[in-house]
Amino acid sequence: MTSTIEMSTVAVHSDAVLAEPRIRVRGLDFFYGANQALKSINVDFPDRQVTGMIGPSGCGKSTLLRVMNRMYDLYPGQRAVGEVLLDGANILAPGVDLNQLRSRIGMVFQKPTPFPMSIYENIAFGVNLHERLSKAQMDERVEWSLSRAALWDEVKDRLTASAMGLSGGQQQRLCIARTIAVRPEVILLDEPTSALDPISTLKIEELIDELKQDFTIVIVTHNMQQAARCADQVAFFYLGELVEVDTATQMFTAPKQRRTQEYITGRFG
Amino acid sequence: MSGVVSAMTGPRRDPAVADRLSRRRRRMNRLVKGLCTGATLVGLVFLGLILGTLLWLGFGGLHWSVFTEATKPPGSHGGLLNAIVGSLIQTLIGTAVGTPVGIMVGTYLSEYAAGTRLGDAVRFVSDVLLSAPSILIGLFVYQVLVSPFGAFSGIAGGLALAVIVVPIVVRTTEDMLRLIPVELREAAVALGAPKWKSIVLVCYPAARDGIATGVLLAVARIAGETAPLLFTSLGNLNWSISLTRPMSSLPVTIYQYAGSAFEDWVQLAWVGALLITLGVLALNIVARVLLRPRR
Amino acid sequence: MPGTTDHIVKSYDNELKRLAALITSMGGMVESQVALACRAILDRDTEAADRAVAADPQVDALEREVEQFVIRLVALRQPMAQDLRLIIASLKMTGDLERIGDYAANVAKRSRVLQQFPMPYTLSGLAHMSRLVQENLKLIIDAIGEADAEKALQVWRSDAAIDEIYDALFRELITYMMEDPRNITPCTHLLFIAKNLERIGDHATNIAELIYYADKGEPLIDSRPKGDSSSSAVVRPRTAEEGGR
Repeated sequence: MTSTIEMSTVAVHSDAVLAEPRIRVRGLDFFYGANQALKSINVDFPDRQVTGMIGPSGCGKSTLLRVMNRMYDLYPGQRAVGEVLLDGANILAPGVDLNQLRSRIGMVFQKPTPFPMSIYENIAFGVNLHERLSKAQMDERVEWSLSRAALWDEVKDRLTASAMGLSGGQQQRLCIARTIAVRPEVILLDEPTSALDPISTLKIEELIDELKQDFTIVIVTHNMQQAARCADQVAFFYLGELVEVDTATQMFTAPKQRRTQEYITGRFG
Repeated sequence: MSGVVSAMTGPRRDPAVADRLSRRRRRMNRLVKGLCTGATLVGLVFLGLILGTLLWLGFGGLHWSVFTEATKPPGSHGGLLNAIVGSLIQTLIGTAVGTPVGIMVGTYLSEYAAGTRLGDAVRFVSDVLLSAPSILIGLFVYQVLVSPFGAFSGIAGGLALAVIVVPIVVRTTEDMLRLIPVELREAAVALGAPKWKSIVLVCYPAARDGIATGVLLAVARIAGETAPLLFTSLGNLNWSISLTRPMSSLPVTIYQYAGSAFEDWVQLAWVGALLITLGVLALNIVARVLLRPRR
Repeated sequence: MPGTTDHIVKSYDNELKRLAALITSMGGMVESQVALACRAILDRDTEAADRAVAADPQVDALEREVEQFVIRLVALRQPMAQDLRLIIASLKMTGDLERIGDYAANVAKRSRVLQQFPMPYTLSGLAHMSRLVQENLKLIIDAIGEADAEKALQVWRSDAAIDEIYDALFRELITYMMEDPRNITPCTHLLFIAKNLERIGDHATNIAELIYYADKGEPLIDSRPKGDSSSSAVVRPRTAEEGGR
């Protein structure tokens, strides 16, 4: 019974026109050592809308996601050339404060990654990195972010319990709560539901739909139905190239490129 | 896609051959199982003999005076108090000095030096140290800390034990940190945490049990070490807790007493051996409890 | 099939082939039904009329089968892009084909009524119209089978000619009725027959639009030259009537 209720609450996203870009990627090349993983990518991510990135494994979609919060900086030998403009400023430029950048562009990973601490501390961890809040303010922030992540009602009575005791779907929502608690402008989601059951998946999708009122969202997914359900804009990557990007409706009803068509309809050889 | 052969039409296997092979496999299985069980039994028998002797002889001499009296000349009802306290002090020094160094080096290897030549070199040296004869470490500390000052000392003994602790803690810390999924570090970094915060606030708590286990195992190891103490704290038949003077310890006392011609000293050596064994056993049990996966 | 490569899941391809086969056989059935209906009027062939009427339940049954099949495909395969367009187009085509079948049956029924009346004039206009409609229908059913958007476009363009003939027939029949009130009954039936043939042409153009969309991914929207002015021609017989006075 809950399943039908959940299904019906997944809002129908409008077939609206794409908003002004919040992030513009221009002429982006990316290298893992000598291997080029992205080839002169140009793509815009519309403000407060959801962009879905699809494509077969190793096509570069996750790489692009990891360029946008400069996660690749953790690993020597990974290199990005080109421009990623957030509000006009190139985040790839030398001298960018990475910690501050990551507070503006949050990221949620494929597997739920709760920290080995309490639910409350999980949320406070990120907030404490960037702000000095009083206990009361922090309480408020924790409630706000957990409510936004549709988790408050489920955990409000056990905020001091270990986050490891939550179910997979709850853990992932906690990770989303933790990310939005920092109050970023952009949220990057790297296959956020691939480790979850269908109902937890729908809850996350509903959440994405809610969150796009306030955040620009980029989601990498292997599930094409999910991209169809969540995204306003869809980008198809293949072998490190952006093959096609268009509104979700256009991409899933009438893509223009043959390779997009073959991938979307399950004909990829 | 085209080469799929269905189970119904695919090549059949010959039941006679399959049967023969299966019988041979079972025979081989029995043989190997028998050999392994036999070897295990031999090992267990000797272990049982050792423990049995230890308990038989050790418990026989166990008396309150062991814990209240220092070592005394033969025939005067001495105890092991100075050896017990000396062992505790030196083990404490060894752990207190060795653990932070070991954790930091392990962290360096896992978090900062992955794939670098310096990291590989450090790891190699640490592994060599891990298996180095402990008498060598005693000699080294003698050369550095005893010879220049012209005096054996408790502190030198403690530091020699620290040198043994370091590589053990390095290895467990590195291994435990490497077990932490990359996503967890990335998740911390993605929230805007600088690397050191992600290590200290996220990775250490996640690896806490494993690292603690490593430390406990190191403690268990140094508690029974004799060789590094012979040239460093030397041993002391009198009561002394001064760190700058020779200090007694259980293993050295056992070493000295066991070979003596006095029956009560030999008895005390067995008691000391029993105490060390029980202590190490306790530490191992604690380590196992800590390492047990939680739910 | 417009997709040159096969699906990774072979059974999906087989299902799409089955859908295409269902639509094609339904198309063939409707095509012969229309041919029978036309023969029934033009050759006064009662047996043809009976067969055209008798075919109708079969066509309806096929339509239901296609509908069920499409619902199953959408639910189980969650088709995307060209597959989605093709499957949805098939669903709509089956409706169009069913309507064509209904019109053909209706024409056949009216032909029985017409048998009771002498034909005081040639049916050459209607014969011409029925030929054009059948040609278009054949072409469009071929286009379904071949997923040929160009052929579909050809049908879509040539519908104007049918509309023009219908317009001319409309005036002609009105004139006959005005000449002699005894003509009113047969001419009214003829008018409905002509109207039905014209509707069959319209459904053929609907199918053309569906084929085009399924193939190209964009709707066929540039304004089609509409030849049918009979809806505004209501005024014209009146002026002819006035002129006759």
